[in-house]
Amino acid sequence: MAHVVVENLSKIYERGKVRALWNVNFSVEKGEFLVLIGLSGSGKSTLLRCINRLVEPTSGRVFLNGLELTRLSPRAMRRVRRRIGMIFQQFNLVKRATVLQNVLAGRLGYTSTLPSLLGWFPKRDIQRAKECLERVGLLDKMYVRADQLSGGQQQRVGIARALMQEPELLLADEPVSALDPATSHSVMQYIEQINKEDGVTVIASLHFLSLARRYGQRILALRAGEVVFDGPPEAIDDRKFKEIYGEEAEEVEIR
Amino acid sequence: MKLLRARALAFLLDLLVWAYLLYSGFTLYYLSALWSPWRPEEKLVWPALSPWAWAVVLVGLGEAVLLTQAFGPSLGQRLMGVHLVAEDGAPPKLAARLAYFGFSHLALATLGLGSVLHPQRPWHERWAGVRLEPLPPPSSAVRRPPWYRTAYGLTALLVALATLAVGWRLTEVDLRRLVYDASKSLRIWYGLIGPDFRYLLAPDPRIKLSLVDGLVQSLYMALLATVAGTVAAFPLSFLGARNVAARHPVGWAIYALTRGFFNVVRSVETVFWAAIFAIWLGWGPFAGATALFVHTVAALGKLFSEQVEHIDPGPVEAVTATGANLLQVVRYAVVPQVLPQYLAFAIYRWDINLRMAVVVALVGGGGIGRHLFEYKDDLRWSLVGAVILLFMLTVWVMDYLSGWIREKIV
Amino acid sequence: MKRFWAKIRAGVWAGAAALRRRATALWEAGRGFLRAYGWPPLRRAAEFLLAWLKALRIRVLPPLLDLVFLGYLWLATSIAVSFAATGRVAYTLLSWEWFVLVVGVTGALWSAWDQTLGLKVVRHRLSPASPGMRLLYALFWPLFPLTLVTALVDREGRSPAEWFTDLRLVEAGEARPRRWYRSPTGWLAVLGLGVSLAAAVAVTRVDLRAFVTRFEKTLKFWRAIFSPAWDQAGLGLKLLVETLFMAVVATAFAVPVAAALSFLAARNLMRGPLPRLLYTVLRVTGSFTRSIDAIIWAIIFAVWVGTGSFAGVLALFVHSVVDLMKLYAEQIEAIDPGPVEAITATGANRLQVLRYGVIPQIINPFISFTLYRWDINVRMATVVGLVGGGGIGFRLAWYLGAYAFSEATMLTLLIVLMVWSIDWLSARIREKLA
Ligand SMILES: Nc1ncnc2c1ncn2[C@@H]1O[C@H](COP(=O)(O)OP(=O)(O)O)[C@@H](O)[C@H]1O
Ligand SMILES: [Mg+2]
Repeated sequence: MAHVVVENLSKIYERGKVRALWNVNFSVEKGEFLVLIGLSGSGKSTLLRCINRLVEPTSGRVFLNGLELTRLSPRAMRRVRRRIGMIFQQFNLVKRATVLQNVLAGRLGYTSTLPSLLGWFPKRDIQRAKECLERVGLLDKMYVRADQLSGGQQQRVGIARALMQEPELLLADEPVSALDPATSHSVMQYIEQINKEDGVTVIASLHFLSLARRYGQRILALRAGEVVFDGPPEAIDDRKFKEIYGEEAEEVEIR
Repeated sequence: MKLLRARALAFLLDLLVWAYLLYSGFTLYYLSALWSPWRPEEKLVWPALSPWAWAVVLVGLGEAVLLTQAFGPSLGQRLMGVHLVAEDGAPPKLAARLAYFGFSHLALATLGLGSVLHPQRPWHERWAGVRLEPLPPPSSAVRRPPWYRTAYGLTALLVALATLAVGWRLTEVDLRRLVYDASKSLRIWYGLIGPDFRYLLAPDPRIKLSLVDGLVQSLYMALLATVAGTVAAFPLSFLGARNVAARHPVGWAIYALTRGFFNVVRSVETVFWAAIFAIWLGWGPFAGATALFVHTVAALGKLFSEQVEHIDPGPVEAVTATGANLLQVVRYAVVPQVLPQYLAFAIYRWDINLRMAVVVALVGGGGIGRHLFEYKDDLRWSLVGAVILLFMLTVWVMDYLSGWIREKIV
Repeated sequence: MKRFWAKIRAGVWAGAAALRRRATALWEAGRGFLRAYGWPPLRRAAEFLLAWLKALRIRVLPPLLDLVFLGYLWLATSIAVSFAATGRVAYTLLSWEWFVLVVGVTGALWSAWDQTLGLKVVRHRLSPASPGMRLLYALFWPLFPLTLVTALVDREGRSPAEWFTDLRLVEAGEARPRRWYRSPTGWLAVLGLGVSLAAAVAVTRVDLRAFVTRFEKTLKFWRAIFSPAWDQAGLGLKLLVETLFMAVVATAFAVPVAAALSFLAARNLMRGPLPRLLYTVLRVTGSFTRSIDAIIWAIIFAVWVGTGSFAGVLALFVHSVVDLMKLYAEQIEAIDPGPVEAITATGANRLQVLRYGVIPQIINPFISFTLYRWDINVRMATVVGLVGGGGIGFRLAWYLGAYAFSEATMLTLLIVLMVWSIDWLSARIREKLA
């Protein structure tokens, strides 16, 4: 059975009556690295957020390990979210909090409410936070405020936060669009490593096709909320590319 | 539809402008010392005119409005963003304007029936050969005349001048008094230069408290009100934030209630609360502190909720995605973002409370203000001078301290 | 004859010009020399003085701050305890010798064992050491005022306590944050807050029971509050208009004055010794005047020109001028120097540079600051009215003093309405401007 299954998913934003997703179908195997591509506004972010229901889909179903997420109560959904890590384009760190606090926030779903409100985390979690930070090479920045870090470092903190959740699925919404090319590759390599070493399924949206070709095992392309391509990176030729990005577009190489 | 609204509102606005100008004229006339004896309560009077005179005034008002509308964009038309043009889009000729002025009377007499039936172009505009059009955007090629060459510019100038003139008379600005009565102010300057610190440490026989006692009371009143007010406003601020509370109907009701409470309580003067609590709790510092507290909760609550509403939504999304519940999201994504601002606002509020702690003494709130107002009423200026100097010194030190702390935090 | 005078004048001019040239050359030469070599003794003295001051900043200021803090703790504790024990407020429980002893010993131990509040302020801490050494340090700590002397002799500017032990005050790096209950400073800070609140409760004679026991006293005014004196509405409205006009007049006359002064109070426009002097004088008098509260200004003017709205206008005016001057001047200081440079480069004179390089950049912030100040003035107009500034506030204070609550409620209603509409209006205008 596939790890993630998306069936007939549609999303219409009430405000503005935008049809952000229309009848999207696909499935992802365990341990796969799926890359979403498409122009900005094509619905990539919406799709990712519909999977962990940060955005409520209008219709359609989403399964994780055969469990239908779209039918869960908010409480049950929170429990499932613990196993779904997410990384954001703008990093979404609490800027004024320390790196350690930001990483520990990844454990909130596992911590009971009262202790977490007082800021108490089990020793085990703090130990784990250090390990995660070590993995992204930021152990020495543990007590630094998040806004003192560079963009790439902030995104690595975001990855550490997701790692804290011990995820089985990692959603990444344009994780490198706010970064320069060199930093982009370093961040993408961390994500790839998580995918390869821990066997975590990754669904990442990427702005550039060159990055998608380099890291994706499979590519799913959206255009105006509809799937226009689903297949291996090699299968995207010039004609397909024009279909996804429009006639005027030209492929650029990100090194 | 849009034009109909523009027409109606422009007429109303112009009517308002001219009525205001007329009323300013009356007020100036009646406030003039030459022909109106000064009556303490009657600074603003409704002129006593005979009925026919009122009729003349009203008709004159209407004519003035129609004239300004016919000749160049009036203030109302300008604010609604419309202007009159001839058939060919150029500014109308004099004859057309006069015709428009004449036909507008008919429109007015029928209470704008034509404009309702033909909002695009009512009869009086057709007959006069003009039409109302939206003003072109400022960047377009047609050069607009400078403001002092337009009807609306001149009207605005008139309004401003009338406001200043009326204000000048109404508030009895009299610069001569500033000079002639300078000798009176000498008393207070003498008091400030030669303050009498007799009661600095020794208790005043009537008030039973020394100045230092009073000062300590004021300081602690402000402290208690600020700390307790901050603590109370903290949880309320989340209920009063749209993005946290108003997620479903019940939450929305709580949000509206909290905001309403903040707005009402905040806009009622602290002295009013002090007067209430002085009766309820008895005269003294407790009443003053309670009044300050109530006002602080509302004022801080509003500022705090606005902070919560302006947070970066990214971290909220990220923490929600980890599976945290609402309380945890507030604690880890909202509170860290707003806490420094909260502290800064609380410290700022402390500065205000310290000052208001003096004013609440006016109605029995206790503190050093009591000394100030009693000595002032007794005309004992050197004692007043001592109080003012002492209080000013304290306020300086506290302002410096709080500014320094605020800098450290933010 | 004419030519004669012309010749004389030309001679005088030439002489003056030559003199000025020579003086300037001399001045430049002197400055160049000083800049290049300095005057060695002077420079050494300055360096010495700076080192001395730096040593004092680290070794004398923090202990003083700590002592003030501990002294305050003692005072607040005394107030709270004496009130709890006897129902009266006393500023010190035990005699002054005890005060000195306790504060001194606590200060010494605190300084020896942790980064004190004062040291935190100057970002220093004590180097790590054994408990014995720390005790020794604590013993000698009270000699810290002697640093005034030892810093003159010692190269490193150490204090006596450092001198006698091997401890040093070093710069505190990025420390790992500790939970507040893990450090003495945290304990003392919490203690300070707790004791302050206790003292506040004592001094303000908090008596929560009074809310219930004295409730029947309030029945009369609840009734009054729910039946406002509608017959006061007319008078109240007139007073309200008067109050609004107080704010309008004060703001309108403050703006041009403040705007003119702000150019003289902007550091980036005032270059050269004389302008700089003017700048300093303006800034200093400004901040002095601003720190005198509007309420106190109202009292002063109520005595000066008599109680009434004129006094209120004057109080608001004075406060607005100095406040706006500062806000405007800060805005001028924050302008982009690029356009100014560009306009200057075209050969424009000072006023032209102001008109075309500076004013276009500041006009919008000026307007929004003015609106903001008007907003404040409307609120303040009622407050200064309370203490004799006229308008609706004066009436309100009067009614409240006479316990005429239905009248006071009426006026309060009007004030609330005014504040709301002004809020709404200025929000709308700001929206339009932004
Ligand atoms: N909260 C929202 N409300 C209304 N419309 C939205 C919202 N979020 C996104 N949209 C619209 O949905 C479409 C898809 O947006 P998005 O999923 O962000 O695309 P992408 O991430 O590929 O750039 C866009 O047209 C966008 O304008
Ligand atoms: Mg997106």
